[in-house]
Amino acid sequence: MAPPEVHHLFHHPIADHSFSADRGTLAVARENNVELYGKTGGKFQLKDELRGHDKTVTGVDIAPNSGKIVTCSQDRNAYVWEPSPQGWKPTLVLLRINRAATCVRWAPSETKFAVGSGARLIPVCYFEEEDNWWVSKHLKKPIRSTITTVAWHPNSVLLAAGSTDGHARVFSSFIKGVDARPEPSPWGERLPFNTVCGEYLNNTAGWVHSVAFSPSGDALAFAAHDSTVTVVYPSAADQPPKAVLSISTQVLPFMSLIWSSESEIIAAGYDCEAYRLQGSEQGWQLAGSLEAAKGRPGLQDQREESALNMFRQMDLKGKSSDDTKLKTVHQNTISTIRSYEESGGVVKKLSTTGVDGRAVIWTL
Amino acid sequence: MAAVNWRTINIDALDPDSPANFDLTSLAPAVAPVSTADVQSLAGHIRQLLRGGDSEGALRGALENPPYGADERGKDVHLATIIEILQSIRQSEMSPILSRIYQSDGGTEALDVLMKYVYKGMGHSSSATATKQITPQATGFSQVHGRGGSEGGGQAMSVLLSWHEKLVEIAGPGCIVRTMSDRRVV
Repeated sequence: MAPPEVHHLFHHPIADHSFSADRGTLAVARENNVELYGKTGGKFQLKDELRGHDKTVTGVDIAPNSGKIVTCSQDRNAYVWEPSPQGWKPTLVLLRINRAATCVRWAPSETKFAVGSGARLIPVCYFEEEDNWWVSKHLKKPIRSTITTVAWHPNSVLLAAGSTDGHARVFSSFIKGVDARPEPSPWGERLPFNTVCGEYLNNTAGWVHSVAFSPSGDALAFAAHDSTVTVVYPSAADQPPKAVLSISTQVLPFMSLIWSSESEIIAAGYDCEAYRLQGSEQGWQLAGSLEAAKGRPGLQDQREESALNMFRQMDLKGKSSDDTKLKTVHQNTISTIRSYEESGGVVKKLSTTGVDGRAVIWTL
Repeated sequence: MAAVNWRTINIDALDPDSPANFDLTSLAPAVAPVSTADVQSLAGHIRQLLRGGDSEGALRGALENPPYGADERGKDVHLATIIEILQSIRQSEMSPILSRIYQSDGGTEALDVLMKYVYKGMGHSSSATATKQITPQATGFSQVHGRGGSEGGGQAMSVLLSWHEKLVEIAGPGCIVRTMSDRRVV
């Protein structure tokens, strides 16, 4: 296993990050702006800045094929940025929400995107050719609280959303004229807009931090603030799911998770390191940390201390060694995990960013 | 109108869809109501196990049936039962019992319940001693008195603290987080 590639970008929290399809550009949300880093040599260098939001940017997503960037912010707006000869050109999206936008993700089809918001609704946005701007349709019922996270099904119609009311829900976001009729799946066959295909709650009803569909789209996982990951296997429309498996972990809650394959989930959060969870419909379990016991970059600079130095430190600081550094690669909460490299539907590399301003690329 | 500060108007109260206008209990998982009498009869069963020397079985029985749906009195009865069990188990037996429960089916859930009771017990014993410790003046003499009066509470607290320590060793900080985020309170 190759050691992780660590890029310390700045000393600010990174709310969200996204790589371009060729992985040459990294967009990170830093305070009110989105910064674009370009890879030169082995390092990321600041290339461009997307300025326009006047409050903290909460989400950024680069569409892999079209290269368009969508951003959303606590100022209740979302912009779609398109490259032009004069630089990046923003287009305002009419979200029609009265609370902050919390997260944004392009649908795999790239013809629409979903924005989570504090207004207890999810604007699903698509481009209206006639009026030449992005308009939105609201997914409303039965959301009772802030949406913290959204994730798309591979068919671009089903949308999973996690909320602070403790529920993870699966909605249909079918928009006539934009989407093709989806294939029937375990989630349902007829899917008009705002069909609730599933609504799941775990035992403690902790608020949901992250949701994700499995690569095939036939299973849903969500991580909640009670340190659990719950995996749902649906059976058919209007039927109870085949299996709902909740894994209570010993570690602090996970903020973000992705499926690396049908039988493995990578999750990371307040423990500052990523963990593997492995299993199937029969059961899931925590399989250990992604960080090998040795080879952590943070540990290499711990060398043998001389006795004189140790006593001097004890005299000056009342302790023998400086333990202000965590033993993990990330030095603070990890807020986003994304797939970096895939082959044959299996994630080979993934990227994480967190509150410590680091972007790390891991090899699985 | 000029007298009304529009910035302080609670707009949520005027919005029919707002969270201020729906029943929040619909969000939490449903809990079955439990009568105080049921809690008391369960406590009787558990005491019997305890008298028979099966403290692990007693602890398990108490943790597997937390009366989430009971009223305050019922909850207090169950708390007293659990504290009694915890105090009857010797320090050297704590870790083996906890790890056996953790490895069994539904063990993490049981330990989460135990953590809830440890915290609730801490809250109770400290409030009981706080009332005793009120002294008119912070003189050295009255402080000595206060300490003497809180002896019982202090002992209960030290038992709970050692349970807490052993529990975190086995169930990890995840257990504490679940205790805090769980909407089913004991």
